[in-house]
Amino acid sequence: MKALIRLAWEALFLREDPYAEMRDSSNAVLRGLGIVVLIAVAVALVGLVGTALEWATTPDLREMQETVWQGLQKMEWYQDLEGIPEIRQQFDWGWQIFPRLFGAPNVGTAALRIVLLPLRLALTWGLYGLVAYLFARLLGGQGNLGQTLGCTALAAAPQLLNLASFFPYIIVGGVVGTWTLLCRYVALKTCHRLRWGRALAATLLPYVLLAVFVSLFSCLIGAAASLIIGGGTSR
Amino acid sequence: MNELLQLARDALLFKHETYVEHTARADALKRGLTLLVLVTLLAGVISLVVNVVNGMRPTDFDANMQEFEQSLQTFFNNAGPFLNLPPDLKRGFREGLKAARPGIEIGARIAELPTPLPRPVGVLLSNLGAFLSLPFSRLAGWVGYGIWVMLAAKLMGGRATAAQTLGATALYAVPHALDILGPVPCLGGLLGLVATVWGIAIYVKALSVANEFTIGRAIVATLLPALVIVLLSGLGLLALLVVGLAAG
Repeated sequence: MKALIRLAWEALFLREDPYAEMRDSSNAVLRGLGIVVLIAVAVALVGLVGTALEWATTPDLREMQETVWQGLQKMEWYQDLEGIPEIRQQFDWGWQIFPRLFGAPNVGTAALRIVLLPLRLALTWGLYGLVAYLFARLLGGQGNLGQTLGCTALAAAPQLLNLASFFPYIIVGGVVGTWTLLCRYVALKTCHRLRWGRALAATLLPYVLLAVFVSLFSCLIGAAASLIIGGGTSR
Repeated sequence: MNELLQLARDALLFKHETYVEHTARADALKRGLTLLVLVTLLAGVISLVVNVVNGMRPTDFDANMQEFEQSLQTFFNNAGPFLNLPPDLKRGFREGLKAARPGIEIGARIAELPTPLPRPVGVLLSNLGAFLSLPFSRLAGWVGYGIWVMLAAKLMGGRATAAQTLGATALYAVPHALDILGPVPCLGGLLGLVATVWGIAIYVKALSVANEFTIGRAIVATLLPALVIVLLSGLGLLALLVVGLAAG
């Protein structure tokens, strides 16, 4: 385990050595899976501590709800809405959604992440590794699928930045995603011994493919919805 | 630590051999990142202390609002003759404040609600969280822009790896130690401007050394992504204008 942590830590700093070590490893896929799961579990556990601390320093949501409701009733524009009987019901309904959307601490959800985060990261890693392998080979890459998966697993290293969420109220932000992109570039370049331009193309093409799929899927859903709704109204 | 301080000092003085040695090191990115994080945290220390102390004070909502209204009135009285503010604007400010008062009051009442841990712990943790978020915010901006600069540098024949470019350009953060005086009125803003210009100059120098090309090319590689963003934004606005005009 210590060796896996060392490898992930070194991979974070974009040096080619850890990626080369992974490429030359006899059980790259297994080690890769170990790294992804280890990082995900550690991040989720630490996040649970941070969320628990944040919960312990936040007022009760129901009390907050009542305070907001009382405050709204004092506002001038509220007089126009007073006659609407459903207004309180709609406010309560909105209160079920908006605090969670804006990051109200939820210890249950944070605990669930101990299972869900490793699953999500492992799935993302497997899918990206597979697609990136295909593109890298098309672009003249020399690595095999196992090596690609091993190296791209090291690109989960930027998730280590999320360990900072041990402290409540911390915002790590978009740096993890951008740094992951950089790690994936170094992973594919090293694993497949590609020149920088080809490595960049192999890194970005899976994202492009995903964007195309999402667009097509959205179009299909939109078309199906309009067919169903349109069909329903025409009768 | 001494080594890092030496690196920071030499980077500020644009010592060429320091940039060359730093970029050639295997741990250039680790050292650059360490400096960037330390400087950003140092720059935020005073704000952290001020915010924690202010947060610990008992708050009187009505007294605070009254104080704010009085300071606004003083501002209008003092600055009014110089700025020649129209009476409508003053009235608008007062009416806006009156309309916003219930909303501000909601926030104040929520802050007074009891929490499982004592309130000072919450104040300390929330301010500490904001303070520790500062390096991540700087990192996001630096890496987000740096990716495009790296691409521009590569297209212009640059030789540096991603780790070398990022390791070298991370030194741009060093002058931002001046941001520690940010809360000082007037001087803070001025020093912030000095730090920004100094930081950009270090960025260009570091990019030039890492990629082994001229300062001129480094300037182009540094500015190109910003120019592209401005150009694309301009084109987007133009397209919106054309669509708006076409739609009548």
